[in-house]
Amino acid sequence: MFARAFFAALMSSAFMVSAAQAQEVIEWWDFLGGGDGVRMKELINRFNEEHQGQIQIEATTLEWGTPFYTKVQTSAAVGEGPDVMTYHLSRLPLGVETGTLSPITEEDLANAGLATSDYQPANIDAASVDGQLYAVPFDIHSIVLYYNKDALQKAGLLGEDGLPTGLDGADNFAAALKKLQEAGYQQPLSIHDAAGDSMWRIFYSLLNQQDGKFLDDNGEFLSGDNLDKAVAATSLMASWVADGYAPPNTEYAASIARFTGGEAALHINGVWEVPTMTDLATKGELFDWGAIQLPTFFDHPATWADSHAFAIPNNQGNEMTPEHRKAVMEVIGWMAKNSTFWGSAGHLPAYNPAREDPEFQAMQPNATYASLAETAAFDPRSPLAGVASPVYDAAGNYLMPAVNGELEPQDAMEQMRDDLQGQAY
Amino acid sequence: MLRTRRSEILTAFVLLAPFIVIYGLLFVWPTIQMVMLTFTKAPLIGAGDWVGLKNYERLWGDRLFWTATWNTLYFVLLTVIPSTLLGLLIALGVNRLKGWAQSLVLAAFFIPYILPVSVVYRMWGWMLDSEFGILQHPIAAVWGENVPIFRTIPLFIPAVAFITVWWLIGFNILLFIAGLRNISSEIYEAAELDGATRWQTFRRITWPLIWPITVLVATIQLILQLKIFDQIYLFAQGGRVDATLSLVGLIYRSAFQKNQGGYGATVALVLFMLIVVISVLQFQLLRARGQR
Repeated sequence: MFARAFFAALMSSAFMVSAAQAQEVIEWWDFLGGGDGVRMKELINRFNEEHQGQIQIEATTLEWGTPFYTKVQTSAAVGEGPDVMTYHLSRLPLGVETGTLSPITEEDLANAGLATSDYQPANIDAASVDGQLYAVPFDIHSIVLYYNKDALQKAGLLGEDGLPTGLDGADNFAAALKKLQEAGYQQPLSIHDAAGDSMWRIFYSLLNQQDGKFLDDNGEFLSGDNLDKAVAATSLMASWVADGYAPPNTEYAASIARFTGGEAALHINGVWEVPTMTDLATKGELFDWGAIQLPTFFDHPATWADSHAFAIPNNQGNEMTPEHRKAVMEVIGWMAKNSTFWGSAGHLPAYNPAREDPEFQAMQPNATYASLAETAAFDPRSPLAGVASPVYDAAGNYLMPAVNGELEPQDAMEQMRDDLQGQAY
Repeated sequence: MLRTRRSEILTAFVLLAPFIVIYGLLFVWPTIQMVMLTFTKAPLIGAGDWVGLKNYERLWGDRLFWTATWNTLYFVLLTVIPSTLLGLLIALGVNRLKGWAQSLVLAAFFIPYILPVSVVYRMWGWMLDSEFGILQHPIAAVWGENVPIFRTIPLFIPAVAFITVWWLIGFNILLFIAGLRNISSEIYEAAELDGATRWQTFRRITWPLIWPITVLVATIQLILQLKIFDQIYLFAQGGRVDATLSLVGLIYRSAFQKNQGGYGATVALVLFMLIVVISVLQFQLLRARGQR
């Protein structure tokens, strides 16, 4: 009995091998755990079903962050990397510097059925180094302002269209927080101010709302009046804590819990928490909520953004055949054209037509904050910047203590500038 | 006669060869390579340009290196001695218990040791969370308000050291109990007959006889804690990582995060030397005392 089952299993695996030889097998690595990962697996399964006998994706999910990028770099150097992988655009400069990424040519894009004009120009810039494209953007993810509708209603901050009103401008925002406080929300704003990364995202948005440059074209950090703008951004964030609107040193999970638990009426966090809210609401455990683009505190709208993108590793000594590369590009193209579904993970599809799709237009709250794609501010283009980079560390060392009132904003920004400048050698 | 000697040497060599080859290949050679790496400006992977002693110069002037060295030594101080002494104390107590009570208490002390570091981090992270942590109630009662323990620089290393002692002490207790059980009960009986007090029994019998185990525990702990990385990394994540950096943390950051393999190797070599010097010194010192 057992031997028979074993034999059958052997036969079927032998059959699968021979079937696999007739088609291109694409080895795929991603770092998408959690809610994103579930949705990505669904997309991959759909792709594999539609391309049976032609192209099959074999996906592996790895640890997010520095471990992923280290593995990619080491494996590409010995020719053992995957055929395609997910990549943060903010991390691209380091990937190019270390020779990990293979350039994406015009021909590649054509094979994918894509063109650079299908994307926001800022997004294409972020995917390029020295004018050469190295990745194909898949989504744009950013931070948004989550709000409790009931609370805003009580404080008279909900417009007739059901969206928050009177939040634009630093003073108006503070006044709104005051109103919420009077409506019974003691600390109405929830921000993740116990870590540099979340603080960086808000800070970089505020800096860009003033047209401030964190890193100028000469490779100098916070040069000239950019320092003043950075200090203004930091001071504004620090005032929320100092005036008692937000508690200091709140950890990530606690910052979400303060909002979902009804303690805070406003919450600034990444779009990736949209599934959390949606799931809670479906279970009937959340109040009426929504999410909008970050208010304009300074001169004009701008929001920090990053992209998950697809890149091809530069597998040294193990270059792929043109046919294989074509198949890889077909995968990338298919993913872009089917990325509307990816919106349910909270992200905005990078591919313009996917955002214009009626299905996406009906997707809430994504459609409400989709406008942020037009004013997205991507991280500085430097090997020192991006996810899990020295800039993020510096945000933890200087920006975060300044927001929590442990450092003066002016001193903090000067120290941050000097520290980063010292690391650029 | 000479012939047998020669064949003995040959046999010895044949028997030793696999070890020598593997040791050379997996330890000596990489170590030499790493030393060479410290003289280059190599990235994480591949060779780099020869820069002589530049990395060492940079190390000397690197504020972070000194912070990391201080943090590491401070952490060692706060973990090695307390966890050794506390381990002995608890082992003495557990040893007095009998039957199932002993097993139960021993298990209670040993269970934390089984936990992976990530679980330890999550548990204590939540217990001490500045908003919702259960331990914030007593803290607020004493201090007047919630204290973000892992975001308050002077509290950071002591807090992580405390958690580390809690986490790892079970192993020390186990070693001490094994040592205590090795002391023959006849010696204690003889002492009792001679009218020795409890303190005298401990001072004159238990302490000298348990000394070799104490040296062993302290040395194991010392080497382990000089290489401290994971707890500090996890608890400091996203925060003021410069002020709380450990030496291994600096290696990780230089080599893996910033792609500066040469500099990372330099820090690693210095840490290696530090461990060799300190542990040899400590071992000699403790042994000398024991032989008195």
